[in-house]
Amino acid sequence: MVPELSLLLTLVLFAAGTAAGIVGALLGLGGGVFLVPFLVLALHVPMRLAVGISLTTVIATSSVVSSGRMGGSLVNLRLGMVLEVATTAGGLTGGLVAAMLSATTLQRMFGVVAVLSALAMLGRLERRNVLLDPEADPGRLGGRYYEEESGAVVTYAVKRVPLAMGVSFVAGSVSSLLGVGGGILKVPALNAWCGVPLRAAAATSAFMIGVTATAGAVIYYGRGEIVAWMAASTVLGVLAGSRAGFALAARARAKWLKLLLVAILLAVGALMLTRSR
Amino acid sequence: MIPATTGRLERWLGKVLTWGTITSTLLLAAGLVLQLAGVNHGLAANLTHVGLVILMATPVARVVVSVVEYALGRDWLFVTLTSGVLVILIGSLMVATLRI
Repeated sequence: MVPELSLLLTLVLFAAGTAAGIVGALLGLGGGVFLVPFLVLALHVPMRLAVGISLTTVIATSSVVSSGRMGGSLVNLRLGMVLEVATTAGGLTGGLVAAMLSATTLQRMFGVVAVLSALAMLGRLERRNVLLDPEADPGRLGGRYYEEESGAVVTYAVKRVPLAMGVSFVAGSVSSLLGVGGGILKVPALNAWCGVPLRAAAATSAFMIGVTATAGAVIYYGRGEIVAWMAASTVLGVLAGSRAGFALAARARAKWLKLLLVAILLAVGALMLTRSR
Repeated sequence: MIPATTGRLERWLGKVLTWGTITSTLLLAAGLVLQLAGVNHGLAANLTHVGLVILMATPVARVVVSVVEYALGRDWLFVTLTSGVLVILIGSLMVATLRI
Protein backbone atom coordinates (compact mmCIF):
# COMPACT_ATOMS: atom_id res chain seq x y z
CA MET A 1 0.00 0.00 0.00
CA VAL A 2 1.29 3.41 -1.02
CA PRO A 3 0.58 6.23 1.48
CA GLU A 4 -1.68 9.07 0.24
CA LEU A 5 -0.12 12.45 -0.50
CA SER A 6 -0.52 14.71 2.55
CA LEU A 7 1.10 17.86 3.92
CA LEU A 8 1.84 16.15 7.24
CA LEU A 9 3.60 13.16 5.70
CA THR A 10 5.49 15.48 3.33
CA LEU A 11 6.81 17.44 6.32
CA VAL A 12 7.68 14.29 8.28
CA LEU A 13 9.60 12.92 5.27
CA PHE A 14 11.34 16.29 4.81
CA ALA A 15 12.41 16.32 8.48
CA ALA A 16 13.60 12.71 8.35
CA GLY A 17 15.55 13.52 5.22
CA THR A 18 17.16 16.55 6.86
CA ALA A 19 18.31 14.51 9.86
CA ALA A 20 19.60 11.70 7.63
CA GLY A 21 21.35 14.26 5.41
CA ILE A 22 23.24 15.88 8.28
CA VAL A 23 24.52 12.63 9.75
CA GLY A 24 25.03 11.03 6.35
CA ALA A 25 27.21 13.84 5.03
CA LEU A 26 29.15 13.87 8.30
CA LEU A 27 29.94 10.18 8.01
CA GLY A 28 30.12 9.70 4.24
CA LEU A 29 27.28 7.21 4.40
CA GLY A 30 24.54 8.78 2.33
CA GLY A 31 22.05 8.70 5.18
CA GLY A 32 20.16 5.63 3.97
CA VAL A 33 21.28 3.64 6.96
CA PHE A 34 19.08 5.85 9.16
CA LEU A 35 16.36 6.64 6.66
CA VAL A 36 15.30 3.09 5.73
CA PRO A 37 14.79 1.96 9.36
CA PHE A 38 12.87 5.17 10.11
CA LEU A 39 10.56 4.75 7.10
CA VAL A 40 9.98 1.06 7.79
CA LEU A 41 9.77 1.02 11.60
CA ALA A 42 8.20 4.41 12.36
CA LEU A 43 6.13 5.20 9.27
CA HIS A 44 5.35 1.58 8.21
CA VAL A 45 6.38 2.26 4.62
CA PRO A 46 6.81 -1.09 2.79
CA MET A 47 10.50 -2.13 2.75
CA ARG A 48 10.85 -2.01 -1.05
CA LEU A 49 9.37 1.51 -1.32
CA ALA A 50 11.60 2.64 1.55
CA VAL A 51 14.63 1.30 -0.31
CA GLY A 52 13.51 3.09 -3.50
CA ILE A 53 13.12 6.44 -1.69
CA SER A 54 16.41 5.97 0.10
CA LEU A 55 18.30 5.25 -3.13
CA THR A 56 17.19 8.60 -4.58
CA THR A 57 18.42 10.39 -1.45
CA VAL A 58 21.74 8.55 -1.70
CA ILE A 59 22.16 9.94 -5.24
CA ALA A 60 21.27 13.46 -4.09
CA THR A 61 23.66 13.34 -1.15
CA SER A 62 26.49 12.08 -3.30
CA SER A 63 26.00 14.76 -5.96
CA VAL A 64 25.71 17.67 -3.53
CA VAL A 65 28.53 16.61 -1.22
CA SER A 66 30.90 15.73 -4.08
CA SER A 67 30.18 18.91 -6.06
CA GLY A 68 31.35 20.89 -3.02
CA ARG A 69 34.49 18.80 -2.71
CA MET A 70 35.64 18.85 -6.34
CA GLY A 71 38.89 20.78 -6.66
CA GLY A 72 40.00 19.77 -3.18
CA SER A 73 42.05 16.59 -3.12
CA LEU A 74 40.09 14.65 -0.53
CA VAL A 75 38.12 12.70 -3.13
CA ASN A 76 40.49 10.18 -4.71
CA LEU A 77 39.08 10.27 -8.26
CA ARG A 78 41.25 7.54 -9.76
CA LEU A 79 40.59 5.11 -6.92
CA GLY A 80 36.90 6.02 -7.16
CA MET A 81 36.76 5.33 -10.90
CA VAL A 82 38.41 1.92 -10.42
CA LEU A 83 36.11 0.86 -7.60
CA GLU A 84 32.98 2.18 -9.37
CA VAL A 85 33.26 -0.61 -11.92
CA ALA A 86 32.71 -3.03 -9.04
CA THR A 87 30.09 -0.97 -7.15
CA THR A 88 27.87 -0.40 -10.21
CA ALA A 89 28.14 -4.07 -11.25
CA GLY A 90 27.05 -4.90 -7.70
CA GLY A 91 24.28 -2.30 -7.92
CA LEU A 92 22.88 -3.87 -11.07
CA THR A 93 23.08 -7.36 -9.53
CA GLY A 94 21.43 -6.23 -6.30
CA GLY A 95 18.63 -4.53 -8.21
CA LEU A 96 17.86 -7.80 -9.99
CA VAL A 97 18.11 -9.95 -6.85
CA ALA A 98 15.96 -7.59 -4.72
CA ALA A 99 12.85 -8.64 -6.63
CA MET A 100 13.39 -12.27 -5.58
CA LEU A 101 13.73 -11.66 -1.83
CA SER A 102 10.95 -11.04 0.71
CA ALA A 103 10.75 -7.78 2.67
CA THR A 104 11.49 -9.67 5.91
CA THR A 105 14.66 -11.16 4.45
CA LEU A 106 15.78 -7.74 3.25
CA GLN A 107 15.08 -6.20 6.65
CA ARG A 108 17.08 -8.90 8.46
CA MET A 109 19.95 -8.47 5.97
CA PHE A 110 19.88 -4.76 6.78
CA GLY A 111 20.24 -5.53 10.50
CA VAL A 112 23.12 -7.95 9.97
CA VAL A 113 25.01 -5.58 7.65
CA ALA A 114 24.65 -2.69 10.11
CA VAL A 115 25.88 -4.71 13.11
CA LEU A 116 28.80 -6.30 11.21
CA SER A 117 30.05 -2.94 9.95
CA ALA A 118 29.85 -1.51 13.47
CA LEU A 119 31.92 -4.38 14.86
CA ALA A 120 34.51 -4.11 12.08
CA MET A 121 34.84 -0.41 12.83
CA LEU A 122 35.13 -0.88 16.58
CA GLY A 123 38.27 -3.00 16.27
CA ARG A 124 40.15 -0.30 14.36
CA LEU A 125 39.47 2.83 16.40
CA GLU A 126 43.05 3.86 17.16
CA ARG A 127 44.72 2.99 13.86
CA ARG A 128 46.08 5.68 11.63
CA ASN A 129 47.56 4.41 8.40
CA VAL A 130 49.18 7.51 7.01
CA LEU A 131 52.58 7.77 5.39
CA LEU A 132 54.06 10.60 7.39
CA ASP A 133 56.65 11.67 4.80
CA PRO A 134 54.69 14.06 2.54
CA GLU A 135 57.15 13.41 -0.31
CA ALA A 136 56.43 9.65 -0.24
CA ASP A 137 55.21 8.15 -3.52
CA PRO A 138 51.44 7.55 -3.31
CA GLY A 139 51.66 5.18 -6.30
CA ARG A 140 49.19 4.98 -9.18
CA LEU A 141 46.06 5.04 -7.06
CA GLY A 142 47.12 6.73 -3.86
CA GLY A 143 46.47 10.32 -2.90
CA ARG A 144 47.66 13.35 -1.04
CA TYR A 145 45.57 15.96 0.78
CA TYR A 146 45.90 18.72 3.30
CA GLU A 147 44.35 17.84 6.64
CA GLU A 148 43.16 20.87 8.58
CA GLU A 149 42.98 19.28 11.99
CA SER A 150 46.65 18.25 12.07
CA GLY A 151 47.79 21.06 9.74
CA ALA A 152 49.77 18.57 7.67
CA VAL A 153 49.82 17.11 4.17
CA VAL A 154 48.70 13.51 4.37
CA THR A 155 50.07 11.09 1.77
CA TYR A 156 48.86 7.53 1.37
CA ALA A 157 49.24 4.58 -0.98
CA VAL A 158 46.42 2.14 -1.68
CA LYS A 159 47.04 -1.48 -0.71
CA ARG A 160 45.10 -4.65 -1.66
CA VAL A 161 43.18 -3.24 -4.65
CA PRO A 162 41.55 -6.61 -5.54
CA LEU A 163 40.17 -6.81 -1.99
CA ALA A 164 38.84 -3.25 -2.31
CA MET A 165 37.16 -4.28 -5.60
CA GLY A 166 35.53 -7.30 -3.94
CA VAL A 167 34.22 -5.24 -1.02
CA SER A 168 32.99 -2.61 -3.50
CA PHE A 169 31.00 -5.20 -5.44
CA VAL A 170 29.35 -6.42 -2.25
CA ALA A 171 28.75 -2.81 -1.18
CA GLY A 172 27.08 -2.08 -4.52
CA SER A 173 24.78 -5.12 -4.22
CA VAL A 174 23.90 -4.20 -0.65
CA SER A 175 23.21 -0.65 -1.82
CA SER A 176 20.55 -1.79 -4.28
CA LEU A 177 19.10 -4.42 -1.94
CA LEU A 178 18.89 -2.24 1.17
CA GLY A 179 18.87 1.36 -0.05
CA VAL A 180 22.10 2.38 1.64
CA GLY A 181 25.05 4.02 -0.08
CA GLY A 182 27.34 1.13 0.63
CA GLY A 183 29.78 3.44 2.40
CA ILE A 184 28.75 1.42 5.44
CA LEU A 185 31.00 -1.38 4.07
CA LYS A 186 33.50 0.48 1.87
CA VAL A 187 34.65 3.14 4.33
CA PRO A 188 35.70 0.71 7.09
CA ALA A 189 37.28 -1.68 4.55
CA LEU A 190 39.25 1.02 2.70
CA ASN A 191 40.34 2.50 6.00
CA ALA A 192 41.25 -0.72 7.81
CA TRP A 193 42.59 -2.94 5.02
CA CYS A 194 43.62 -0.75 2.10
CA GLY A 195 45.56 2.06 3.75
CA VAL A 196 43.19 4.90 2.86
CA PRO A 197 42.79 7.50 5.66
CA LEU A 198 39.26 7.67 7.06
CA ARG A 199 38.50 11.13 5.71
CA ALA A 200 39.69 10.32 2.17
CA ALA A 201 37.87 6.96 2.30
CA ALA A 202 34.62 8.69 3.33
CA ALA A 203 34.95 11.41 0.66
CA THR A 204 35.79 8.92 -2.10
CA SER A 205 32.93 6.68 -1.00
CA ALA A 206 30.50 9.64 -0.98
CA PHE A 207 31.64 10.35 -4.54
CA MET A 208 31.02 6.73 -5.65
CA ILE A 209 27.65 6.10 -4.00
CA GLY A 210 25.78 8.37 -6.43
CA VAL A 211 26.59 6.31 -9.49
CA THR A 212 26.24 3.09 -7.45
CA ALA A 213 22.76 3.98 -6.21
CA THR A 214 21.78 5.05 -9.73
CA ALA A 215 22.46 1.52 -11.02
CA GLY A 216 19.85 0.27 -8.52
CA ALA A 217 17.47 3.25 -8.47
CA VAL A 218 16.86 3.07 -12.22
CA ILE A 219 15.63 -0.53 -11.76
CA TYR A 220 13.34 0.40 -8.82
CA TYR A 221 12.01 3.35 -10.81
CA GLY A 222 11.25 1.10 -13.78
CA ARG A 223 9.29 -1.21 -11.47
CA GLY A 224 7.26 1.71 -10.10
CA GLU A 225 8.79 1.27 -6.64
CA ILE A 226 9.88 4.90 -6.29
CA VAL A 227 6.87 6.97 -5.20
CA ALA A 228 7.70 10.35 -6.73
CA TRP A 229 6.19 12.73 -4.13
CA MET A 230 7.64 10.74 -1.22
CA ALA A 231 11.06 10.65 -2.84
CA ALA A 232 10.82 14.38 -3.62
CA SER A 233 9.95 15.30 0.00
CA THR A 234 12.77 13.19 1.41
CA VAL A 235 15.36 14.25 -1.17
CA LEU A 236 14.68 17.94 -0.51
CA GLY A 237 15.21 17.31 3.20
CA VAL A 238 18.41 15.40 2.58
CA LEU A 239 19.77 18.18 0.34
CA ALA A 240 19.18 20.76 3.09
CA GLY A 241 20.64 18.44 5.73
CA SER A 242 23.73 17.41 3.82
CA ARG A 243 24.68 21.08 3.26
CA ALA A 244 24.75 21.46 7.03
CA GLY A 245 26.54 18.14 7.51
CA PHE A 246 29.16 19.07 4.94
CA ALA A 247 29.93 22.29 6.83
CA LEU A 248 30.21 20.36 10.09
CA ALA A 249 32.34 17.54 8.66
CA ALA A 250 35.40 19.73 8.14
CA ARG A 251 35.48 20.50 11.85
CA ALA A 252 34.62 17.10 13.30
CA ARG A 253 37.33 14.81 14.65
CA ALA A 254 38.06 11.42 13.07
CA LYS A 255 37.83 9.45 16.31
CA TRP A 256 34.55 11.09 17.28
CA LEU A 257 33.21 10.31 13.82
CA LYS A 258 34.15 6.64 14.17
CA LEU A 259 32.59 6.31 17.62
CA LEU A 260 29.36 7.95 16.50
CA LEU A 261 29.25 5.64 13.49
CA VAL A 262 29.67 2.55 15.66
CA ALA A 263 26.97 3.55 18.15
CA ILE A 264 24.42 4.38 15.47
CA LEU A 265 25.08 1.25 13.44
CA LEU A 266 24.64 -1.02 16.45
CA ALA A 267 21.34 0.58 17.44
CA VAL A 268 19.94 0.53 13.91
CA GLY A 269 21.06 -3.05 13.31
CA ALA A 270 19.47 -4.32 16.52
CA LEU A 271 16.18 -2.57 15.71
CA MET A 272 15.98 -3.93 12.19
CA LEU A 273 16.72 -7.47 13.40
CA THR A 274 14.26 -7.51 16.29
CA ARG A 275 11.41 -5.62 14.64
CA SER A 276 11.33 -7.53 11.35
CA ARG A 277 7.99 -9.20 10.69
CA MET B 1 52.62 11.07 -9.66
CA ILE B 2 49.12 12.47 -9.67
CA PRO B 3 48.29 13.29 -13.35
CA ALA B 4 47.56 16.83 -14.56
CA THR B 5 44.27 15.91 -16.29
CA THR B 6 42.73 15.46 -12.84
CA GLY B 7 42.38 19.24 -12.27
CA ARG B 8 40.31 19.89 -15.39
CA LEU B 9 38.29 16.71 -14.90
CA GLU B 10 37.45 17.77 -11.34
CA ARG B 11 36.21 21.18 -12.52
CA TRP B 12 33.95 19.54 -15.11
CA LEU B 13 32.63 16.97 -12.65
CA GLY B 14 31.92 19.75 -10.16
CA LYS B 15 29.88 21.66 -12.77
CA VAL B 16 27.87 18.59 -13.83
CA LEU B 17 27.09 17.64 -10.24
CA THR B 18 26.20 21.21 -9.23
CA TRP B 19 23.86 21.88 -12.15
CA GLY B 20 22.28 18.44 -12.01
CA THR B 21 21.52 18.94 -8.33
CA ILE B 22 20.17 22.49 -8.79
CA THR B 23 17.90 21.54 -11.72
CA SER B 24 16.48 18.43 -10.06
CA THR B 25 15.99 20.24 -6.73
CA LEU B 26 13.99 23.04 -8.38
CA LEU B 27 11.83 20.59 -10.34
CA LEU B 28 11.20 18.35 -7.31
CA ALA B 29 10.29 21.36 -5.15
CA ALA B 30 8.02 22.90 -7.81
CA GLY B 31 6.27 19.58 -8.50
CA LEU B 32 5.76 18.87 -4.82
CA VAL B 33 4.42 22.33 -3.99
CA LEU B 34 1.99 22.22 -6.93
CA GLN B 35 0.78 18.75 -5.91
CA LEU B 36 0.27 19.87 -2.31
CA ALA B 37 -1.57 22.98 -3.55
CA GLY B 38 -3.99 20.59 -5.21
CA VAL B 39 -3.08 21.34 -8.80
CA ASN B 40 -4.75 18.35 -10.34
CA HIS B 41 -3.61 18.03 -13.91
CA GLY B 42 -0.59 15.94 -14.83
CA LEU B 43 1.89 18.84 -14.81
CA ALA B 44 2.63 18.75 -11.07
CA ALA B 45 3.28 15.00 -10.94
CA ASN B 46 5.23 15.16 -14.19
CA LEU B 47 7.54 17.88 -12.82
CA THR B 48 8.36 15.61 -9.87
CA HIS B 49 9.08 12.69 -12.20
CA VAL B 50 11.30 14.80 -14.48
CA GLY B 51 13.11 16.00 -11.33
CA LEU B 52 13.75 12.38 -10.32
CA VAL B 53 14.95 11.44 -13.80
CA ILE B 54 17.42 14.38 -13.82
CA LEU B 55 18.56 13.37 -10.33
CA MET B 56 19.36 9.86 -11.63
CA ALA B 57 20.86 11.20 -14.88
CA THR B 58 23.38 13.40 -13.03
CA PRO B 59 25.78 10.62 -11.97
CA VAL B 60 25.44 9.09 -15.44
CA ALA B 61 26.40 12.44 -17.00
CA ARG B 62 29.45 12.70 -14.80
CA VAL B 63 30.57 9.23 -15.93
CA VAL B 64 30.20 10.36 -19.56
CA VAL B 65 32.31 13.46 -18.80
CA SER B 66 34.96 11.22 -17.21
CA VAL B 67 35.12 8.97 -20.28
CA VAL B 68 35.60 12.02 -22.54
CA GLU B 69 38.20 13.69 -20.30
CA TYR B 70 40.28 10.52 -19.94
CA ALA B 71 40.07 9.97 -23.71
CA LEU B 72 41.34 13.52 -24.32
CA GLY B 73 44.18 12.79 -21.90
CA ARG B 74 44.87 9.47 -23.71
CA ASP B 75 44.61 7.60 -20.43
CA TRP B 76 43.30 4.41 -21.99
CA LEU B 77 43.16 2.35 -18.82
CA PHE B 78 40.76 4.89 -17.29
CA VAL B 79 38.82 5.26 -20.54
CA THR B 80 38.22 1.50 -20.33
CA LEU B 81 37.26 1.58 -16.65
CA THR B 82 34.84 4.52 -16.95
CA SER B 83 33.33 3.07 -20.16
CA GLY B 84 32.77 -0.15 -18.22
CA VAL B 85 30.77 1.80 -15.64
CA LEU B 86 28.74 3.38 -18.43
CA VAL B 87 27.97 -0.02 -19.98
CA ILE B 88 26.75 -1.30 -16.59
CA LEU B 89 24.50 1.76 -16.18
CA ILE B 90 23.05 1.14 -19.65
CA GLY B 91 22.46 -2.46 -18.49
CA SER B 92 20.41 -1.12 -15.54
CA LEU B 93 18.43 1.08 -17.88
CA MET B 94 17.69 -1.93 -20.09
CA VAL B 95 16.55 -3.97 -17.09
CA ALA B 96 14.28 -1.07 -16.10
CA THR B 97 12.75 -0.52 -19.55
CA LEU B 98 12.36 -4.21 -20.37
CA ARG B 99 10.98 -4.82 -16.82
CA ILE B 100 13.07 -7.94 -16.26
